[in-house]
Amino acid sequence: MSKNEKPSKLNRRDFFKIGGVTAAVGATALSSLPGKTAAKELDKRIVDKIVTTHDDFPAEVRSDYVPPRNWDHVQARSFFVKEIKAIGETVEDDIVADGQAFVEKMNFAYDNEKVGYNQADKALLAGAWAMNNYSAGPSPAAIPNFGVNSWEQRQEKAHFALFDNDYVVKEKYQFTNKQEASNQIKRAAKLFGADLVGITKRDKRWDYSKFLNPIPPLFRKPLLAPPSKEQMEELHNWGPDKFVTDWSDFPFEPKTVIVMAFNMDYEGIATSPSFVGSAAAGAGYSEMAKVPYQLAVYLKNLGYNAVSSGNDMGLSVPYAIAAGLGEASRLGQAVTYKFGPRVRLAKVYTDFEFVEYDKPKSFGVMDFCKNCMRCADACPTKAISYEKEPTFEPTHDNKENAWYNVKGVKKYHVDAKKCFKLWGELGDDCGMCMASCPYNKPDFWHHRLVDSITAAMPGPVHDLMREMDELFGYGNVEDKESIKKFYSPEGKSYDGH
Amino acid sequence: MIFTGIEILFFSLGVLSTLAIGLIYYYNQKLKFSVPAWTTSILGAFLFIFGIAWAFSSVLEGEPRAASMGLIVFVIPSLILLLFSRKLAIRKSTGK
Repeated sequence: MSKNEKPSKLNRRDFFKIGGVTAAVGATALSSLPGKTAAKELDKRIVDKIVTTHDDFPAEVRSDYVPPRNWDHVQARSFFVKEIKAIGETVEDDIVADGQAFVEKMNFAYDNEKVGYNQADKALLAGAWAMNNYSAGPSPAAIPNFGVNSWEQRQEKAHFALFDNDYVVKEKYQFTNKQEASNQIKRAAKLFGADLVGITKRDKRWDYSKFLNPIPPLFRKPLLAPPSKEQMEELHNWGPDKFVTDWSDFPFEPKTVIVMAFNMDYEGIATSPSFVGSAAAGAGYSEMAKVPYQLAVYLKNLGYNAVSSGNDMGLSVPYAIAAGLGEASRLGQAVTYKFGPRVRLAKVYTDFEFVEYDKPKSFGVMDFCKNCMRCADACPTKAISYEKEPTFEPTHDNKENAWYNVKGVKKYHVDAKKCFKLWGELGDDCGMCMASCPYNKPDFWHHRLVDSITAAMPGPVHDLMREMDELFGYGNVEDKESIKKFYSPEGKSYDGH
Repeated sequence: MIFTGIEILFFSLGVLSTLAIGLIYYYNQKLKFSVPAWTTSILGAFLFIFGIAWAFSSVLEGEPRAASMGLIVFVIPSLILLLFSRKLAIRKSTGK
């Protein structure tokens, strides 16, 4: 540099010096940050703004609300017609016909000319449902105490089994504190395969008041030993007088319900209605058969009674809401923050109560549902309500004889009979409402961002959001291309793995 | 595949952001931005990068229509904003 040249404000050496010092200071600051990082703090602040936590159940429940029985469930009533008639209840002819059509098509039918319903799609469905069918049997139709969901609380290992931990151990494990108990139970559930876990107090309002189970006890689970004389006698005397039980027959007093949600395959549900869509649901049901049973055995080995349950025992949606997993919605399902309504729910009832309970949370779903109506538009049978506000009573065409709707809870009531009629016609369990819901998205950053913005915005913006969702091409149903997309090897690239 | 789509996306977003900051800094040195020019250029650059990220993500999740809509709804307005900011910056510079 000549003496006459004016030195620049920042030469290359200074630049490197400043850069080096800044990097060193930054690195030191980052490494010295405690576990509570800036990102976590920011996340907490955003969550506080968008998510409302409730001390009580977030929907109004009228004082005359009566918990349903498990046969106040359209599937239970249509699949167990003879047995329900045998206990003196009526079953309408349309339910019988729909149930028969559904079972026949789901079990035996496929059509190689029809996209989404060919033999390969049927095979996919069969494999997906296999674990549920084998180990939890009629649990999807709300029938309890079968297979892995057995109420049995053995006190010792089965004599003939090589390895058996499915019994309540004598020593009760003592957690240091409630939070530790909650953390460990949730971690166990996630290890076993749950996508979301919440813990809530047992609430008799959401339990079935009575249970129909017409299957003789000897046939409810694999035999661990030759049948005893008493078991053979019970089988011999089995009849309608023994079909119905209630909580007095339950082996312990449940204190806590652990609720789990299982994410169903996004591309699979997007094919709804089809056997592929039903396979996605079936894979969820098979998870529901496996994971809660594993968690029940885990609790038994901590020294506590536990019974796993899928759709049986109680209403999964209010339990999921109470456990903070999601919010109620127009389509009647719990909408979770991460997966929207695209989840299956299962529960474990236990007498363990030294645990930190979760609280119900809202993040704007019910507000959004007031304006959206995409599920109601997508439903071909118009089984989903178009009412702007939730109501205590059903408002649909069959409201006078809506034995299948719970009355006295302020919510959107779905006409389950209309819904089930379509199941009979299709031979699968539809799922178009779920597929069309704007909250049903892959777990991707831009959808989480839109959900958060939606939650923070007032009603009129929700109309725009709904329109944009449609314009952007999400939530299409009856899309034949979706089957190709499902089978494509690129199908799962969205999640970044 | 060694790098997944989402990894490539976020690496590219880093490159794009650096380029955007560099370009804004360079043109500010050259043209001395006014407050409106600063605002429109930062907003335009942010919207452009966001639109690219949206479209790329939509392609990754197999929703091509969402990708095209992302380009229309975010990238086109971002280009308009950037052109506007250029105009504002040049007007101030030549106005001196």
